[in-house]
Amino acid sequence: MEDYAMEVAGLTKYYDKLTAVDHINFEVKKGEIFGFLGPNGAGKTTTIRMLTGLAKPSEGIAKIFGHDIQSETVAAKRCMGIVPEISNVYDDLSAWDNMMFTGELYQVSKSEKEKRAKELLSLFGLYDRRVDKVKGFSKGMKRRVTIAMGLINNPQLLFLDEPTSGLDVQSTLMIKDVVRGLNQKGVTVFLTTHNIEEANVTCDRVAIIHKGRIAAIDTPEKLKETIQSVQSIEISFKESSPEIMKELQSIPLVNEVRKEGDKFRLYTQDPSGVLSNLLEYSKSKKVRPLSLNTLGPSLEDVFIRLTGLETRTKEGDHDE
Amino acid sequence: MMSKKGLNLGQLKNDLAAAWAIAKKDMRIYYIKPGTLMFGILFPLSMFLSFAIGRNTPVSTMIAGLIAITIFFSSSSVGPMAIPTERRVKTFERLLSAPISFYSVFLGKTIGGFLFGLVIGIIPLLIGMAWFDTQIVNITALVIGLSLTSFCFAALGIMFASFPTENPGDIMMMLNFVRLPLMFISGVFLPIASLPNWGQIVAAFSPLTYANDIIQYALQGKTYYGLLLDSLILLLFIGIFQVIGTQLQRKFRE
Repeated sequence: MEDYAMEVAGLTKYYDKLTAVDHINFEVKKGEIFGFLGPNGAGKTTTIRMLTGLAKPSEGIAKIFGHDIQSETVAAKRCMGIVPEISNVYDDLSAWDNMMFTGELYQVSKSEKEKRAKELLSLFGLYDRRVDKVKGFSKGMKRRVTIAMGLINNPQLLFLDEPTSGLDVQSTLMIKDVVRGLNQKGVTVFLTTHNIEEANVTCDRVAIIHKGRIAAIDTPEKLKETIQSVQSIEISFKESSPEIMKELQSIPLVNEVRKEGDKFRLYTQDPSGVLSNLLEYSKSKKVRPLSLNTLGPSLEDVFIRLTGLETRTKEGDHDE
Repeated sequence: MMSKKGLNLGQLKNDLAAAWAIAKKDMRIYYIKPGTLMFGILFPLSMFLSFAIGRNTPVSTMIAGLIAITIFFSSSSVGPMAIPTERRVKTFERLLSAPISFYSVFLGKTIGGFLFGLVIGIIPLLIGMAWFDTQIVNITALVIGLSLTSFCFAALGIMFASFPTENPGDIMMMLNFVRLPLMFISGVFLPIASLPNWGQIVAAFSPLTYANDIIQYALQGKTYYGLLLDSLILLLFIGIFQVIGTQLQRKFRE
């Protein structure tokens, strides 16, 4: 029998007549990075609140390393580190005192919490600022303190909710490095993010939740395989004009065109056919391609397909 | 294998340690917040002075009442400042997601208010002893009175702070609707014995009545209800405030 860090069966949450989470089932294996994706209002936050013991499920069971979060709440919580979406640090305390206080809440011994605080603040590049009050820290620094606080008890399972959202490059890279390092040491990570590409390159498996139900759950590559019909060619031209969108849309075999920065993405079921048509178009219109790539479906494509979302600019938007 | 009792004792120890950690943290953060200082110190002092100045009563006899209302306001102000603020900045969720019982969070917050009220309440006592010839007649009654009074009103503040708002002003407003009338029906400015029958009946429902009575006894040797009854009723109020507060917190968390 496989050992799981988390087992969720029939987990449901009703708010009056609204079903926020609807009988979801999944397991997270020990040592894996598990991504939990979904559009706003899909039920992500409610699920996390139930998994971390902050909200009581209406139905169903969630076990953390075998401990039922309802009946063995303290034992389950002891296995976890929690990093919420908002950096909930005490602004009036120093980084060091925030670490010490969290250590006390998690019953970490004095010597151990001092050792861990020193290690973690050094790891996040904050040890030199340890005596400064957190209120003077930047958003990225506060985020790093929050993650360090989530790790003070050496958790076996780390909940990371939007860990890098809106952060500077330095903090983002540092946090990603730390998460990878933790995972290599065997820590299981439950990652919630809006950054689909982050989930694609970080997660062993992802679950996509939509309208309170799990719409798909698998490895990123297997999920992409499910929509192989969504292939595309990405092209940029040396010179661009407002008419190009319309002209590209009229190329045979092209289903849809999207403008992505200085590039155009042409969706098709027949990339080789479109490729030769594109070259003909390029010659006839005398527009020289600057770059050309054929692309398979991305995890974002899977996400959009499964959740029915359409967020990017399409041809029609440009015509206005 | 550890017995269930052993496990429970271990958890109790952890919960008490966590409650103390929460109380220490609250002392550092919220004791010096302007709202706490205003509602906890300036407000009771100015209220007392407005009603005491000009009365034909020796100051030494008013010190017990001043101590009672100072503790009443100061103990009950810390929770209503701390809890909504923590809700707003989401640090309250940090406490709730820690591996401790919900009661230890509640207790930690109450201890924060208790210690604040105790320290602030001793100030008028020291002033009375230094300048107005205030005497301690019964030290045991004083210790019991100050402790029970402070814990009772800290629990009152936490009970009000259990309403799910992120704005301390909302709680302070609700709390003052209760605190201000209680001040006038609890024998602080007029002895209970001199109140009409209906006034005495109303006074019996106010915890401040018993707090004031117990401190009057400690400093002047006069009591209306007696030390034992005062103490038991204050303990009863503590229990009621804590039960209602924890139930409200649980209800609104969902």
